[in-house]
Amino acid sequence: MRRPFSALAATTLVVALAATATLTGLVGTSLSASADDDKGRAKNVIYLLGDGMGRTHVTAARERFYGSDGKLAMETLEAQGHVSTYAVEKLSGQPGQADFRPNPVTDSASAATAWASGVKTYNAALGVDAKGVAVPTMMELAKKAGYRTGNVSTAEVTDATPAGQMSHALARGCQGPVYSDASCQDLALTGSALPTTDVRVTPIADQIARNGTADVILGGGLGRFDAADEAALTAQGYSVLGSIANQRTATKTDLAAATGQKVFGLFNRGNLTVEKSKRDNPSSAQAQEPSLPEMTSKAIELLSHKGEKGEKNEKGEKSDKGFYLQIEGALIDKRSHANDAAQTLDEIKAFDDAVTIAQDFAQRDGNTLVIVTADHECAGFNIIEKGTFTNAEASTPPANVDSGNTANNSAPTRPSNARDAARSTGIVNGSGAADAKNFGPATFRTPTDPAGVTDGSPEAGLWLSYLSSNHTGADVPVYASGPGSDQLEGTTDNTALFTIVGHALRVIR
Amino acid sequence: MKLRTPQLAALVIVVGLVAGLATVTLAVTNPAGTDAVPAVVTPQMSFAGLAAATGEPELVGMAQAQPSRGEIVQVAGPFDDRFSLEDLAFDGASVTGAVRVTSDVSEVIDLQVLAGFYDEQGNLLGTDRFVHHLGSTDPSHAHETAPDERMIFRIEVPAVLAGQAVGVALGVPVLVNE
Ligand SMILES: [Zn+2]
Repeated sequence: MRRPFSALAATTLVVALAATATLTGLVGTSLSASADDDKGRAKNVIYLLGDGMGRTHVTAARERFYGSDGKLAMETLEAQGHVSTYAVEKLSGQPGQADFRPNPVTDSASAATAWASGVKTYNAALGVDAKGVAVPTMMELAKKAGYRTGNVSTAEVTDATPAGQMSHALARGCQGPVYSDASCQDLALTGSALPTTDVRVTPIADQIARNGTADVILGGGLGRFDAADEAALTAQGYSVLGSIANQRTATKTDLAAATGQKVFGLFNRGNLTVEKSKRDNPSSAQAQEPSLPEMTSKAIELLSHKGEKGEKNEKGEKSDKGFYLQIEGALIDKRSHANDAAQTLDEIKAFDDAVTIAQDFAQRDGNTLVIVTADHECAGFNIIEKGTFTNAEASTPPANVDSGNTANNSAPTRPSNARDAARSTGIVNGSGAADAKNFGPATFRTPTDPAGVTDGSPEAGLWLSYLSSNHTGADVPVYASGPGSDQLEGTTDNTALFTIVGHALRVIR
Repeated sequence: MKLRTPQLAALVIVVGLVAGLATVTLAVTNPAGTDAVPAVVTPQMSFAGLAAATGEPELVGMAQAQPSRGEIVQVAGPFDDRFSLEDLAFDGASVTGAVRVTSDVSEVIDLQVLAGFYDEQGNLLGTDRFVHHLGSTDPSHAHETAPDERMIFRIEVPAVLAGQAVGVALGVPVLVNE
């Protein structure tokens, strides 16, 4: 991108001033002024995030559960587009600044900071920009403006995606229950250690238990919290489900019975349990965890509750102002890291069922913006043609032996392309399951496969493979409905989600 | 736009001047266009009543553990249901082993293994620790391998305790997975 020098300098200064404003107690947010201030404004916003859910994840889950001609719930939302997800290097400036240094592949922390605070930051950063300056989050802005707020995840609630809305940390590993220099400080950024009273090196669990940013907090991570956190939550009026002091996890029964303005429920000491494991072990303690759709439904019920006649919110306003709710399907990413296609697909289904619940509410309500997207793709998930094989299974890499041909100089040719019997010993969820070195695909039956075709068989219609065990830089899909959703048509950057939601909630202009 | 403080007014004017051609508004508004004073939206930078950390984490069980000669015992920590200790060995000079993370197959972001060293009577002589931190932008920690579930550690007996330590207690106060 080229700009006249003066405009570039001006942009730099504006952003610097905005950062200064943040430090001095004001927020600066630049956004093109809208001719119609009420366009795109909603009473409620429900933001659903499938962690690690790339374009192919969505397609594969559609084929698996609804068939090639079917649709996931998220795919029925009226506005659809793509989101770019790149991060920046530590100490980088923002896009357009002279010291802007992008990193094509984000992690969940940098991505969460992008949509929650509208800034690009480095991987591992939460609620701080790439130079370590704390920036306000959308959930903080919404809360302070009188909205009710909720944060739901199948991960530990101190994990990057939920934490991106309700903490400020130089390093995502500073989750608690205790501080350590290595997990909380970042000397490459700050030069010398920050005092441990600084929020940016305060364990995320301690922050969440004390900042009141989310009224309803549901997920995992009980092991990150301690008795002092429980006392701090109770003092703010939270109903704490289960017991933090005794490390007794809450159950779906506790959740169903929960009432009140502020509810804190953690259902596992770590991340919540994958759906398949709960199904296979119905008498386990983990089977008492609520599913993501159940948590979504309850969070909406709690946040949309009109209250008794005359009941006021904490700001003394009548309590029907609206709400801002974030829902994360975290295990899509965690099972993708593990290249576990079966459980990845099940977690996408659970996430999509949560979308159905959100969308049902939005349709009844008529004034709710629903956004469904992802933070990044994970593991280079791909659908390959039945019976074919990937480069990872091939005996010869695809060397570009034709590079001297100026008419055809980019076409790799492979004189002897063959499956390597040592690298590809069968379908990984079938005949090749016992071989740890096997690069074979996983296969799944689809609704249109003939009766009797099973998962893991060569006859199954859906063949899936992974590139790696890590995140990729691919754009992710976004689906949206409700007021302002048309802004998500086409390609947007993840930082634009901040301005779109902020405008919908009238907390930025 | 309502400007309630000279500071904010000055800031907007300056931004307006330098931004020139760009359309920039800078405001915090309340819902439904109420006339309330713009909310102060700086993040809360510290927490009154929260005791600030004063150093590296300790484990209370270290004081009670009384390993006998040649013994390696485990003391309780907050994440004992997320890992197992494997291949533990102590030769008087260092304790070695591996932490196998059993909760997730993804990158280990932070890990700390705390070792307590004890004399013949089971008195705690001193501690040292193994610290792992995944620097996401540090090329030496690039994602070269599949996510590591098994972290190998070595913790030396501090030099001042050389020759005195006969037993070891181990615990894990810090563990974070991606
Ligand atoms: Zn991930």
